[in-house]
Amino acid sequence: MEIYTSIIGAADAPEHQDALHHLEHHHAVDVLCLSRADLARRRLRTWTEAGHEVAIALPRDQQLFDGAVLALSDDRALVVRVEAEHWLRLAPRDTAAALRLGYFCGNLHWRVRFDQGHVLVAVETDARLYLERLDALLAEGAVMLAQDRETAG
Amino acid sequence: MTRNLTMPDGHLAGPARVGIGGPVGSGKTALIEALIPIFISRGVEIAVVTNDLVTKEDARRLQSGGLIDPERVVAVEAGACPHTVIREDPTLNIAAADDLEARFPALDLILIESGGDNLASTFSLDLVDWWMFVIDVGQGDDIPRKRGPGIMLCDFLVVNKLYIAPYVFVDAADILSEARDVRAGKPVIGCRCKGASIEGVPEIADAIIRNVLFRQVAA
Repeated sequence: MEIYTSIIGAADAPEHQDALHHLEHHHAVDVLCLSRADLARRRLRTWTEAGHEVAIALPRDQQLFDGAVLALSDDRALVVRVEAEHWLRLAPRDTAAALRLGYFCGNLHWRVRFDQGHVLVAVETDARLYLERLDALLAEGAVMLAQDRETAG
Repeated sequence: MTRNLTMPDGHLAGPARVGIGGPVGSGKTALIEALIPIFISRGVEIAVVTNDLVTKEDARRLQSGGLIDPERVVAVEAGACPHTVIREDPTLNIAAADDLEARFPALDLILIESGGDNLASTFSLDLVDWWMFVIDVGQGDDIPRKRGPGIMLCDFLVVNKLYIAPYVFVDAADILSEARDVRAGKPVIGCRCKGASIEGVPEIADAIIRNVLFRQVAA
């Protein structure tokens, strides 16, 4: 098992683009697919898409990111990719409902973002569990499920 | 090849940081007391950061227990919201871990025990690399079904005090089974860290050694 203790650079950086492009043509770029939550880890033991077990042990001042290059040689490379995230898009009925929904999400420490008057909740476990918590707000019509699953990279 | 592996002496750069969270009285400190001799016997250099609400009770217990050099135990007083200092603003705990790392350069592992909280506490991954959540069978057989974030999101769920199940009229096997169901495949282990026979603790040490120290453990 290889242990990676630093990030070489970004896959889209000019100094790495040609080498990665060349390796991609030879199917020699392996991918480490991580959830967005796992990007925050400095230590991680996991498997690449090609089936290699790898470990990461970064210094505390470094952080993984989408496109982080962990290995790059003449014959292979390893690049981090972030799994698409799923979001619940919630539409509050009015301002009062929006306040209640905002309080509710904060109280449950849900990760959210806002878009065009909607609240988007990151689905970090099972979407069903989020909907169970929202059941009362949904049932009374204070909040509507604008889209039950939205994907973003 | 343009990549790096371990340091020349075989050590990784800096110790791993592992969180141990869970409700008050679930046995977090007892688990650490049971883990310390195992880590020492396996050559793992450790230190501990404890969090208490307004005292240094857990740190004093570890410092006076004779299991670990008292200098290797640091207390953080969390104030009224113990989850805040391990999640929203873990600055105090990061500083405590940095301090231990600077004073003991050979450390392999820092255990960060949270102040007791309810089922909602989780660790920031800016603070720890991997974290466990400890519940115990005495809290009732419905604890896994409550699906608190601690239970759902931790890397490793520990169900402690298996031996008291008959006295609190619950079925430990059912609790473990339900915990495995709600966590959908994420690891769960039953544990007994006090008394004549220890159960589950070596396996917890193995999980830490394997997942964040990247060392081989016996199958």
